[in-house]
Amino acid sequence: MEDPLDTWFKREVLAHEAALVRYLSRVWSARDEIQDLRQETYIRVYEAARKSRPASAKPFLFATARNLMADRVRRGRVVSIEAVGDVDALNVMVNEVSPERHLSAWQELKRVTHALNRLPPKCREIVWLRKVDQLSTKEVAEHLGLSLRTVEGQILKGMRVLADAILGRSVGATEKDSAGSDSEKRGEDTEANHGEQ
Amino acid sequence: MESSKQIEEAASEWLLRRDSESWSDEDQVQLTAWLHAATANRVAFLRLEMAWDEANRLKALGAGFPARTVPSAGQLSELSGWSDAGAVPRHRDMAHAGAGRRKRAALAATLFAMAVGVYLYTAAPFSGDRYSTPIGGVTSVPLKDGSSITLNSASKIRVQLGETERRIDLAEGEAFFEVAKDPSRPFVVHAGNRRVIAVGTKFSVRRDGDNVRVVVTEGVVRFEDTETHATTSDAGKAAIVEASRLTAGAVVRAAGDNTIVRTASLPEAEDLLSWRSGYVVFHETALADAVAEFNRYSERRIVIRDPRIAAIRLTGKFRSNNSDAFVRLLEESFPIHAQHLPDQIILSDGLTTGTP
Repeated sequence: MEDPLDTWFKREVLAHEAALVRYLSRVWSARDEIQDLRQETYIRVYEAARKSRPASAKPFLFATARNLMADRVRRGRVVSIEAVGDVDALNVMVNEVSPERHLSAWQELKRVTHALNRLPPKCREIVWLRKVDQLSTKEVAEHLGLSLRTVEGQILKGMRVLADAILGRSVGATEKDSAGSDSEKRGEDTEANHGEQ
Repeated sequence: MESSKQIEEAASEWLLRRDSESWSDEDQVQLTAWLHAATANRVAFLRLEMAWDEANRLKALGAGFPARTVPSAGQLSELSGWSDAGAVPRHRDMAHAGAGRRKRAALAATLFAMAVGVYLYTAAPFSGDRYSTPIGGVTSVPLKDGSSITLNSASKIRVQLGETERRIDLAEGEAFFEVAKDPSRPFVVHAGNRRVIAVGTKFSVRRDGDNVRVVVTEGVVRFEDTETHATTSDAGKAAIVEASRLTAGAVVRAAGDNTIVRTASLPEAEDLLSWRSGYVVFHETALADAVAEFNRYSERRIVIRDPRIAAIRLTGKFRSNNSDAFVRLLEESFPIHAQHLPDQIILSDGLTTGTP
């Protein structure tokens, strides 16, 4: 059975990842630091919640992200001067983001399907066999005539890309990237997509 | 210091290993140690785990394709050709001309069936384990997951313990839920368009047609007011109109479009649940409401003939199955006259009828 704090974290914090990443991306100009900021925000929220769980997770999450960015600005780790101004101005955004959770089963399925289509072809095929046909890693390897190592490598990649694609995806902005044709390219740089929404 | 990317890679390695058949208790111990070693590890793992679990939803798509056949992204992205506004395919999607038409129509048919399936699932309240109580009966129903449900008089529920959700439909009446903690399967009580979602807690839900009352006595639940569009293109979607987080002591009353959330004292909330031990408790309750409450527990109805006495306020704790004693007390305490008939008890103004 899962730790209640972990459950809370998934349902109340991770569920807001799309909005969080959007927020970070608007303030922080260095794209390659977004993932790091996101994880650091999560760490701070989780550690604070371990002592005392905030009554309302979402505002707390955004306040934590803001403070984190402010800290980094103070420590001179900021690359762009606009960031400083934005950090102060961004309080408003906390209320702007919609609660992207408790979707209907249908919407959830659609979201996950989109995410699947973002995977590179080989990776996508392997994830399908694993999740839909419920084959074990070994069975997938046998079925495709690949080495176990290769299949495992693809699943590891699939897990990480899916996390970005599923959690980082804003439900409202679904149609922009609905086509699957260039999914490989997209699968490689999902992080960069976050800022565009 | 490890970068977040390195940690994420390590987390995915753990998740992959945990998913494999050779996962042992010893492995679990090591994973637990790794998770404890740094919060960075834990949040990275939780995040991947959540998404990887979410991906299990893909299994639903398997029905549309032969086993071990991976559909092209194009085939699946037809899904996204469907408007966000609804789960049902728009007509023109099915009417495409061209070589791929039949294939697309078949896929659309499968997905349409799924969409309808989702809708029917929400709409059909009766499949699954059903329990009901007669008038005057209070029953306890233990569930396989360790939770327990106490059903009040004249109540009907359906129970479905699924892998991702424990779903209860309250068709009518009232039930008190003691929910065993299982974060992987939220416990969701549906009462018409309202939903109460819990992980592990104690609460009751009462339903009289469209009126719903929720009382929370322990832990936290989420209350949702939803609106299901049965006839429009939105079929299958239960749009959430309003949602509140309820903590112990909260009493929600929802009727029509109105929802009132009130924080009661815990003893007061407990009083609202005294039916479990066979009592009804009134605090300055209007006689009309008190009588309605008693009538839930007995075939022999109490009827107020005289509107003037309906507003009398009373306080006290009564046996819910003993309306005779209740009526006798009324006669002794108020200018009320009771007429006992085989199928009902008629209350009238004692001053008017001339009897004390």
